Amino acid sequence: MALYLHVPFCVSLCPYCDFVVVAGAAARGPASRVGPFVEALAAELQLRADALDAAFGAPSSASRPALASVYLGGGTPSLLPPDDVARLLALVDARFGIGAGAEVTLEANPGPDERGDAWALGQAGVNRLSLGAQAMDAALLRRLGRRHTPDDVADAVAGARAGGIASVSVDLLYDVPGQTLESWADTLDAVLGLGVDHVSAYALTLDDPDAEGLTGPLGDHLPTRAGARRWRQAAAREQDDDRAADQYRLASARLGAAGFRGYEISNWARPGYESRHNLAYWRRLPHEAAGPGAHAFDGAVRRWNAARLDRYVAALSGTMPTLPPGGAEPVDARTAAAEAAILALRLDTGLALTDASDPSSPLAPHLEWALGSGLLEAFAGDRGESRVRLTTDGRLLSNELLARLV
Amino acid sequence: MPIPQARLRNFSIIAHIDHGKTTLSDRLLELTHTIEARQMTSQVLDSMDLEREHGITIKARAVRLEYTAGDGLTYGLNLIDTPGHVDFSYEVSRSLQACEGAILVVDAAQGIEAQTLANVHLALREGLTIIPVLNKIDLPSAQPDVVIEELENVLAIPREEVILASAKEGTGVPEILEAIVARIPPPKGSADAPLRALVFDSHYDPYKGVVCYIRLEEGTLHDHDVIRLMASGAETELLELGVFRPQLVPVNSLQAGEVGYVATGLKNVREAQVGDTVTTVAKPAAQPLPGYQEAKSLVFAGLYPVAGPDYPLLRDALEKLHLNDASFTFEPESSVALGFGFRCGFLGLLHMEIVQERLEREFDLDLIASAPSVEYRVNLTANRGQLVVDNPARFPDVGEIESIEEPWVKLGVVTPDRYIGSLMELTTNRRGTFLTMEYLDPQRVHMHFELPLAELIVDYYDQLKTRTQGYASMEYEEAGYRAADLVKLDVLVNGEPVDALSLILHRDRAQATGRALTTQLRKLIPRQMFEVPIQAAIGSHVVARETLAAMRKNVLAKCYGGDITRKRKLLEKQKEGKQRMKRVGSVEIPQEAFLAILRMDEG
Repeated sequence: MALYLHVPFCVSLCPYCDFVVVAGAAARGPASRVGPFVEALAAELQLRADALDAAFGAPSSASRPALASVYLGGGTPSLLPPDDVARLLALVDARFGIGAGAEVTLEANPGPDERGDAWALGQAGVNRLSLGAQAMDAALLRRLGRRHTPDDVADAVAGARAGGIASVSVDLLYDVPGQTLESWADTLDAVLGLGVDHVSAYALTLDDPDAEGLTGPLGDHLPTRAGARRWRQAAAREQDDDRAADQYRLASARLGAAGFRGYEISNWARPGYESRHNLAYWRRLPHEAAGPGAHAFDGAVRRWNAARLDRYVAALSGTMPTLPPGGAEPVDARTAAAEAAILALRLDTGLALTDASDPSSPLAPHLEWALGSGLLEAFAGDRGESRVRLTTDGRLLSNELLARLV
Repeated sequence: MPIPQARLRNFSIIAHIDHGKTTLSDRLLELTHTIEARQMTSQVLDSMDLEREHGITIKARAVRLEYTAGDGLTYGLNLIDTPGHVDFSYEVSRSLQACEGAILVVDAAQGIEAQTLANVHLALREGLTIIPVLNKIDLPSAQPDVVIEELENVLAIPREEVILASAKEGTGVPEILEAIVARIPPPKGSADAPLRALVFDSHYDPYKGVVCYIRLEEGTLHDHDVIRLMASGAETELLELGVFRPQLVPVNSLQAGEVGYVATGLKNVREAQVGDTVTTVAKPAAQPLPGYQEAKSLVFAGLYPVAGPDYPLLRDALEKLHLNDASFTFEPESSVALGFGFRCGFLGLLHMEIVQERLEREFDLDLIASAPSVEYRVNLTANRGQLVVDNPARFPDVGEIESIEEPWVKLGVVTPDRYIGSLMELTTNRRGTFLTMEYLDPQRVHMHFELPLAELIVDYYDQLKTRTQGYASMEYEEAGYRAADLVKLDVLVNGEPVDALSLILHRDRAQATGRALTTQLRKLIPRQMFEVPIQAAIGSHVVARETLAAMRKNVLAKCYGGDITRKRKLLEKQKEGKQRMKRVGSVEIPQEAFLAILRMDEG
């Protein structure tokens, strides 16, 4: 079991980001809404735990194993006072059980005033930090609306190590307007030089959640502000699939040469440092979630909380807290099979052919096509079973296959 | 009490677009109290929205006026409206055949135009009496003396016959009514002879079946007569007999010389076609009237529904529209790129536009038309005969072609003389040849050209209007077939020909057109998983080539807990997009790409 906590505060908003975030006065200072939010999040955790207790019994029992991972994502969870993080993790441990050796990740921004106190976070139970570095090029960081510099990234990594954080990851962006292949190579070299354990490299994705219908009252996204929309439209014109493909190949090569394993389409790790929490998503394991916009999955139904912070806090405040507004979608068998295949193919462990290659399987002809066109390669799994996984080309063109599998 | 034959007058109005035919018709209706002024919607005769928007009359319409003349007697005047555009001279001649006279309306400021000239010649050939009317004399720019001189010079119309009028203000309209009575001869033909009535138009009514518009040449028709259509052989007891006022008003009988309608109850328009002769079963005529030549299609194009499943709707719509406009033809065809559709023949490019617009508006269809083509004659090698082809996709292989002939037209253009040079250049650039030219008045000329029809239908008319600030007018008639150095240009995507984009064109143009097509296609086709050559070729000879680079990236960068449903939906959208794609060989091309390239031609 995995648990995700969404902390929707940032010092400022980045124009490309469509995560559920509130910024400015709501995040810091006298008018901050962090305090009431932490109370509400704790209340939601109690209610979610009550439901699990009722269904599966006490935590850390045979019918309800302890959590293997906890992930505080955002937003910028490193803005939370370490005491609050400690209190929340203590509550999680008491009500859900945090297993021995569980991975506890917290997302942080590298800026000196937002990265938090790594030592105190470590004391609170955090053992993995995920730093939103994005680039090691000062001009590019400004273009992206980031508040930090490349030096801040180095300081944040050093601080995490000094604070005793065992696993440090950085997020990077490619296909960014104005980003050359050389700048990208320098960024990769720079983060490798910092001795990080894990790198997530994402092509800048300029989505429009409004157009996708995700920003209604019960939607899991907030409406896109006009300024961000204009920024995305301008940036989209400067994106270039050829450059992006070159950058991706370069990342694969450099990170691979540095001993990192590309265990997922956008994720590379030194052996043993793969994100266990994220692997739970890709393996389609159940996960619990709390916080505005957070998604949970119990193996049959995908459920989410609505994005609006005020309504979230309102529902969970007072003497009789209730679950926040949100929605749920049951996953039928066909969709479940498609999900399992498209998620498994994101990983370098790929898909076992046992069932999928049965000629009667709806997946079979597509897998055969992908093998023939070089998107997939066959290999033998740990137990000698036949498996397929995406090639490097196949990763870059993965939607061509995945769109056939849904 | 029917009006005796001696007091019937059947006439049309011949006029150039905007010279005031419709306004004059409206005044005639008002002055004869056929429609009271307060009931007039502007331009009663142009009943289709589309006609009002284009400001032109597409289909012939008819109306019966009752006019008490200066002699105190009441006359029955049948006004048979004529279309006023260059594509519709066929319908004009049809209307004229039902008349004994025609009012020639000429704008006193603009002078006589090419189309009007052609139509007056048609009327004279039919032996019609012409009543010349100079309209818009109220305009400050009117030059009645110049135009009267023009009529005298060009059409030998005596100046004393010309009536000066302003249909807008009503000036001269009473004189026109009197002239109709005085100058146009009454119809002849015995009311006692066996019935012979010419079907000059028709429309389809869901309750009354095919409603034929008829001009009785001989005999008498009573309600409840059993009629026979002499060409089709169809017999039916007529449902209703009437006249146009302008709405359909039933009467008990119609007799020789009159114009009216007969509701046949027939459900199949082929049983009561325009040009057929109506007679009675009880007392049949021995010989039918000389009919019409079937409307000849000059321009051909494929019409396809943008959404494939709309194909049956398009078929129904074409069938219904054909009931009211038999002058276009259609037969099923299919295309790799565009799916199932219909090959349609039209009288001209405007006719094609109008049919397409009516289908889209009246039947709520979204259509795409392939590039318009003319009908070519292809002489096969080894004396294997001649093929008639109107669809480039059906052209035989280069090796089988001995020679190709294409249709030419005689083109008449009336223009202010300052544009002579520009029009010479326009026409010769399109392989046309200049024949002769005469001055209509000191500033205006009538130019005569010959030109391949294929060059005319591209955008000649638009160019003519652009280059002359709208002052020039044109008309054309067929001028037979001539051999030409034509080639079929194919567009190949990854080596596979794209049927909908094949073109027949002059060899000299092949390379430039091929370059334009391949360049556009490279921009419009999404990148595939492999490199795709896009070529334009004549037979196996490639004249232009572009390369569409292989797709490099199509990946969802992020996919975490909250994204899974969202990302799956994005993938489903991609899948739906792919399912809508047309496949040319192994290349997937969105239909929008074809639409864009075909619409580019239209623009």
